[in-house]
Amino acid sequence: MKTSLQDAAVVGIGRTSYMRASGRTTTALAAEACRAALADCGLTPADVDGFTCFGTGSGSASPSSVAHAIGVEDLGWSLSVSGGGNIVTSTVMGAITAVTSGQAEVVVVYRVLGSETRYGKNLGTINIDGEGQFSAPSGFLVPPQWFAMFAQRHQFEYGSTSEDLGAIAIQERLHASKNPHAVGKDPITLDDYMNSRWIAEPFRLFDCCYEVDGAVALVITSSARAQDLPHPPIHVLGAADSNRYGGSPVQYADMTTMFSAGTAPKLWERTGLRASDIDVACMYDCFTFTVMATFEDFGFCEKGEVGDYFRAGRATYGGDVVVNPHGGLLSEGYIHGMNHHYEAVLQLRNAAGARQVINARTALVTSGAGPFGGALVYGTAATL
Amino acid sequence: MSVNAGNDKEPSASLPPQPDPDFDTRGFWDATAQGELKMCHCSACGLWMMPPLEKCRKCAAPTRFDKVQGTGTIYTFIVQRQGAVSGFLNTLPYTVAIVELDEQEGLRLPGRLVNIAPENVRCGLRVKASFEDLPGGEFKVPVFQQSA
Repeated sequence: MKTSLQDAAVVGIGRTSYMRASGRTTTALAAEACRAALADCGLTPADVDGFTCFGTGSGSASPSSVAHAIGVEDLGWSLSVSGGGNIVTSTVMGAITAVTSGQAEVVVVYRVLGSETRYGKNLGTINIDGEGQFSAPSGFLVPPQWFAMFAQRHQFEYGSTSEDLGAIAIQERLHASKNPHAVGKDPITLDDYMNSRWIAEPFRLFDCCYEVDGAVALVITSSARAQDLPHPPIHVLGAADSNRYGGSPVQYADMTTMFSAGTAPKLWERTGLRASDIDVACMYDCFTFTVMATFEDFGFCEKGEVGDYFRAGRATYGGDVVVNPHGGLLSEGYIHGMNHHYEAVLQLRNAAGARQVINARTALVTSGAGPFGGALVYGTAATL
Repeated sequence: MSVNAGNDKEPSASLPPQPDPDFDTRGFWDATAQGELKMCHCSACGLWMMPPLEKCRKCAAPTRFDKVQGTGTIYTFIVQRQGAVSGFLNTLPYTVAIVELDEQEGLRLPGRLVNIAPENVRCGLRVKASFEDLPGGEFKVPVFQQSA
């Protein structure tokens, strides 16, 4: 029997609250989000036969341990993926594929982050192997530094400015002000942005995402089974990834672009869509510049035009596309991009309340930054 | 990249991250210890590679470490103003550049910039490598300064 993406759907979503320092274990946080996602779609742990997550280093909780923690007695399909924001699309698509290939009927996908997984600084004395050994001894180690390098080159080649990056931070924060779940809800002005302290110039504090403890989970099952569940099924219309230069942010050839320069053409070809067809864009935004580069790469505007695009109101309600209606990683909180999937599904269900994008039928969700990442488009049943 | 120690040490007493060389990368550090900059170089097709590999990623021939001039152009850079990395908490601000070496387009090496004020750093600036002792071990690291 031939199967396709349309034979699976996202039917449940769940999450914890997002906190700066929860004091809770990653197992406890992941279990809470997974239970919430199952409750959302009227299923129980006894219905689940697949679990998958992604993570870097020690900061996660394994699929088998989380499944056990919520009472799954014999987990069938279990896949733990090594990676960060770059690998979210592949992880979700792994779950879709597990369902369409018959390896599992109900799969839970989750990401959890706890207080032990802060990426923004590293203050212990450490020994570093791999490519990092050529960067870290120069005081060049953590993500804000990598992507500030990209932003600097973009400013050099295209004349983009701090004000342009600020326009992204301001817009996302304004969106978050209508999102009770967001950790950063107080609107900011351009003065607030420009006066926020330097981190790694050209990045200021408000260029950086808001690291939190928390977890997000999705439930994926067959489209046939989805017919019996409470929410309208949300389908994947297509997905694509691009991984270049071994994931090296230093060697990536054109640092005014990102992975999306490779991902976007594949995604638009596979879906038959283009930027103008997208109603909601959940752009991975570990930093403001990630939005700038990927937004250009996906063809929403030309190189160097992102600042004007945001200032003109084209990235919000009443504009061309609503970018990160939840406030993104910058303002809702950093759950490594899984919260973008939650938001996309919520919007396409027409269940986003005060921040609902009217008539949202398609949502682009990107994941990753720099040399590697992916993206998918979710659609309502009407878009199939 | 993996990191093999904790995150909670006393910051003021901390040392900079130390390289953890392996068979593929040791030649780089052996050279810097001698005050030389050597990069991984294919013995057959001549491709320069960073990070180093045992065999050429294009033609699979053995690689070796060959001396480079140590001259290049700043592709991009940051001015680090917030303490974020152990060993660099009391020396803020500092500037790190990604330098494109003259030997091959796209062959890049990051390094701290010395003897230049942050406000004078630009993409496209010509630089030359020298070496500094890395506190905490026997390693020497390349740094870059503006060349004439």
